Amino acid sequence: MPQTLKLVDKRDLRPAETALALGVISRIELLRLKTIARVYARGLPPDVAWDDLLQEALTRIILGARQQPEGVTTVAFVAGIMRSLRAEHWRRVSRRSGGSEAAWLDRIGRSREIDLPDPAPGAERSLSAQQQLRAIERLFADDPVVLKIIAALGQGLCAAQIRGAMGISKTNYDSARRRMRRTLLREGLTCEPK
Amino acid sequence: MRTKVKVALPETVLARILEAFGQELLDASDQEIMEAAKELGMNPQMKGSAAFLGLTFPAKLQVSDFFDVEAIKQHVAREARERIAHATSNDLEPKAPPSKLSEISMGRKDSGQK
Repeated sequence: MPQTLKLVDKRDLRPAETALALGVISRIELLRLKTIARVYARGLPPDVAWDDLLQEALTRIILGARQQPEGVTTVAFVAGIMRSLRAEHWRRVSRRSGGSEAAWLDRIGRSREIDLPDPAPGAERSLSAQQQLRAIERLFADDPVVLKIIAALGQGLCAAQIRGAMGISKTNYDSARRRMRRTLLREGLTCEPK
Repeated sequence: MRTKVKVALPETVLARILEAFGQELLDASDQEIMEAAKELGMNPQMKGSAAFLGLTFPAKLQVSDFFDVEAIKQHVAREARERIAHATSNDLEPKAPPSKLSEISMGRKDSGQK
């Protein structure tokens, strides 16, 4: 008699489930972290997804690889780890590129004095960043005030400088920021393509 | 003399924007999160809420989320082994005596040749 295949009845717990079970984070904090992870995953290669960032950050906390400093909220702490994972990824990419260049120079027996930087990772990162900037523009396409604020944030201006440059009141500025936050939350809670 | 205009790299601009977005989301109130979820038709109070896609259950469902992939592999391997064993045993078996029908046809052939 042919053996029927059993449905999976026992799965490994995901780091987020473990963190919830251990009381490391609450459900609402987890949702907030999801929205932040989706923001931080922008511009990363497709093989590094937002859930990878978040689950990895939670894994590091559960394993005790990162200690939460006093006075820092858990959400801010996890967000900080995700940010450093993002930076770590780009460092690894540039190191890999440098490593391959050195190996190539060794193979052909040339002097390392000839500096031949590999433009590929930088170009890829730049292209990806441009695509993400366009995606952000599309996300806020129906709100020109928010778009102007985002452009100013990209220039590194602070709230007061943006208000001054745009000539808008604090109330209008705060209202625009609230609209921006709402869009980010809505986009962050779904799992639709960025 | 011309003024040198500094143009920020796209990755720098993006990093600044993402940093600001991240801070914005850190500052959002719990109520705002709940409202955003409700606008999307999600109820985060429910255990299997879609809001938890990618968190407590995968964002992209895979075969392994429903079936025991290891068991499927073992099943396929066992079936293949059985097929090979069956085919090998057929090759090794002595040939069966010719059927009556083949004898008749052989006989006809012989008679024709005579």
